[in-house]
Amino acid sequence: MQNSMKVAKWELKRNLKNKTFVIGLFITPAIFILFFFLGSLFSDSDDDTDNAENMTVYVNEDIGFFEEIESINTEQDFGWDLQTTDTPQSEITEVDEPYTAYLFINEQSLQENRIATYTSEKADPLFPGQLQTLSVPLQVMKAEAAGLSQQEINQLMEPISFVEGTIQGEGEPPSNIEESSLFDLENPLETLIPGIFAGIIMLSITFTGMAIFQSASQEKKDKIAEIILSSLTPSELMQGKILGYFMLGLIQVAVFIAILLPFAIWQTDIPILENLFVPRTIFFVVIALLSYLMFASIFVGVGATMSDVSSAGNLQGLVMMLPFLQFVIIGPVISNPDGVVAAVGTYIPFTAPLTLLIRLTLLDSWPWIEIIISVAVIMLSIYIFMKLAGKIFKVGILLYGKNATPKEIWKWIRM
Amino acid sequence: MNTLLTVANLRKSFKDKEALKGISFEVYRGEIMAILGPNGAGKSTTIRNIMGIMYPDSGEIHFHQQTGKGIPKSKIGYLPEERGLYKDVKVMDILLYLADLKDYPLDKAKERIFMYLKKFDLEGKENTSVEELSKGMSQKVQFIGSILHEPELLILDEPFSGLDPVSQEVFKEEIASLAANGTAILLSSHQMNLVEQMCDRLFMIQHGQKVIYGTLDDVKKQYANFKCVLHGENPPALLEKIPEVDRIEYNGSRSILHLPKGIIPHHWLKQLPDELDVQELHINRISLHEIFIDIATDKHLVSPEGGS
Repeated sequence: MQNSMKVAKWELKRNLKNKTFVIGLFITPAIFILFFFLGSLFSDSDDDTDNAENMTVYVNEDIGFFEEIESINTEQDFGWDLQTTDTPQSEITEVDEPYTAYLFINEQSLQENRIATYTSEKADPLFPGQLQTLSVPLQVMKAEAAGLSQQEINQLMEPISFVEGTIQGEGEPPSNIEESSLFDLENPLETLIPGIFAGIIMLSITFTGMAIFQSASQEKKDKIAEIILSSLTPSELMQGKILGYFMLGLIQVAVFIAILLPFAIWQTDIPILENLFVPRTIFFVVIALLSYLMFASIFVGVGATMSDVSSAGNLQGLVMMLPFLQFVIIGPVISNPDGVVAAVGTYIPFTAPLTLLIRLTLLDSWPWIEIIISVAVIMLSIYIFMKLAGKIFKVGILLYGKNATPKEIWKWIRM
Repeated sequence: MNTLLTVANLRKSFKDKEALKGISFEVYRGEIMAILGPNGAGKSTTIRNIMGIMYPDSGEIHFHQQTGKGIPKSKIGYLPEERGLYKDVKVMDILLYLADLKDYPLDKAKERIFMYLKKFDLEGKENTSVEELSKGMSQKVQFIGSILHEPELLILDEPFSGLDPVSQEVFKEEIASLAANGTAILLSSHQMNLVEQMCDRLFMIQHGQKVIYGTLDDVKKQYANFKCVLHGENPPALLEKIPEVDRIEYNGSRSILHLPKGIIPHHWLKQLPDELDVQELHINRISLHEIFIDIATDKHLVSPEGGS
């Protein structure tokens, strides 16, 4: 282990002194921030156009509702230019002036539950939605007119929700349903933020892990493997590389988060820190680390079969693509975290970590049996791939000047 | 003799080919022992087995400076035949890394790096990137890497390959100096003249088995007959009259007369005919180079004393 640490430290030092790595370290979060600014720049410009064209709303009413509309307009920041009008409904056939609307509210329309509205062809797309906010105060007004008490009105106005049939204990107060729905409302952030955090770690260390590929084949390209192996064993060298690039990946994550987290806290209202330091973050991060170990062992083994990264054969090229296999099924998993694709993806070693992470982030109740099987699949895969990588690495690292054929690799594995 | 390494009955096969057929030798403290043989004879396989980079099928490798089993890697210096260095690192960094892998104190290593860089005419190159070094400079850095940690046993596989004569001389002097200070040195080389100048003992291997083993003087006595190189205009008929000659090579005015075993040179000289045209005449033993060529080409023109 001491020798592996020496190799790990060396890989760490070598890369941290490498200009390309250092530039890459800072450029990725910088690109994220740049895209964020570009995005907000465009959305700002859209807002500007919208704001420039506020709706002018002419209201013809005789039930004393105008003040209510004015206060809603101010509270909700609709930006309407409110005007009262005496123009009768019969005179309006169409509205020629853009961004203009007419509302006709009277006793009769209130009784019929139909408010006549005339809107210009060119109008704020949000306007119909904004109009809907007027419905509740209008209903309240109607109920008051019908002589209902405030309590009766409150009861009447409360929305009816459909709750999945869970059998309540006899003595349990019904308020539990309310608590559970409150918990569900907070739930998305509580799982989403640890999920995103672990996702960043997983992707970052997996991609840094891909550098192991190059590092293993460089031992051969630079013909230094035999000199190094005169001081340590092949498995120590292999473990050292896996460990070294793992630490590099963590440094990358640290830099990434150190730059992006304050930025995200500053720019968004999401309570990131409160939701980040929760127990499930640890579990998610463990999945990310297991994912790294699996891909790193594959990369280090196959890297040792290549004399040069640029001359990778079909087999090696395919292996390089393995981490991307996860992204193929990311769409179906997100759209249906309980679906067949998601369930199958949970059991395939190469797709299991990311699929598991997405499912646990999106699902309200965790399928514990599937989780346990999936983690077991990942851990078993790590064990098998590490063993195979060790065998391939031991022979492959000394095979200078040529790429190993699949037949040769198979022979080494059987040795 | 203080034995540092014993190799006993080492066997190794690749597929159906037996690369090493039970070879045995020893390396002593303070001596330079050469392991010689043509390409593919099994030299590098022997060395790789000693270094634990390959594992023998059978046989024993025993390091006497270590009590337990295993290879005392920190006490061995190794310069493989196929060698290189990481390209994108500084000379000082890679040398310190190699010393660190050998558990050698880094402050002491740093001192020795400066000392050796100066000795090998690389002063001021410690912060140079390896990729900026010439091939010869890079070879020197690799050599420094193999001796930096003061190894008790130094194994050099073709240390002189790719070196210019000046660098060869520098390496040769350093190897001799290390041996004089007690380091046991096992080296393989194709440069027979250098081996002949430096080594105390040699082990020659062909087709994975021992051909010659002993001190340089013994080997020469045992294997190398005398030969007489004669410059002068002498017809073949006249040369053929000379007694006690195994074989004659004609090459214009220069002829080489191979003498049989057991000949006493000054007695033999007395038998030369008076009419012989002698412009120049040398009598010496067949060189190691000739023995090597002889073995490598399987001509068997030379053989141990007692044979013909």
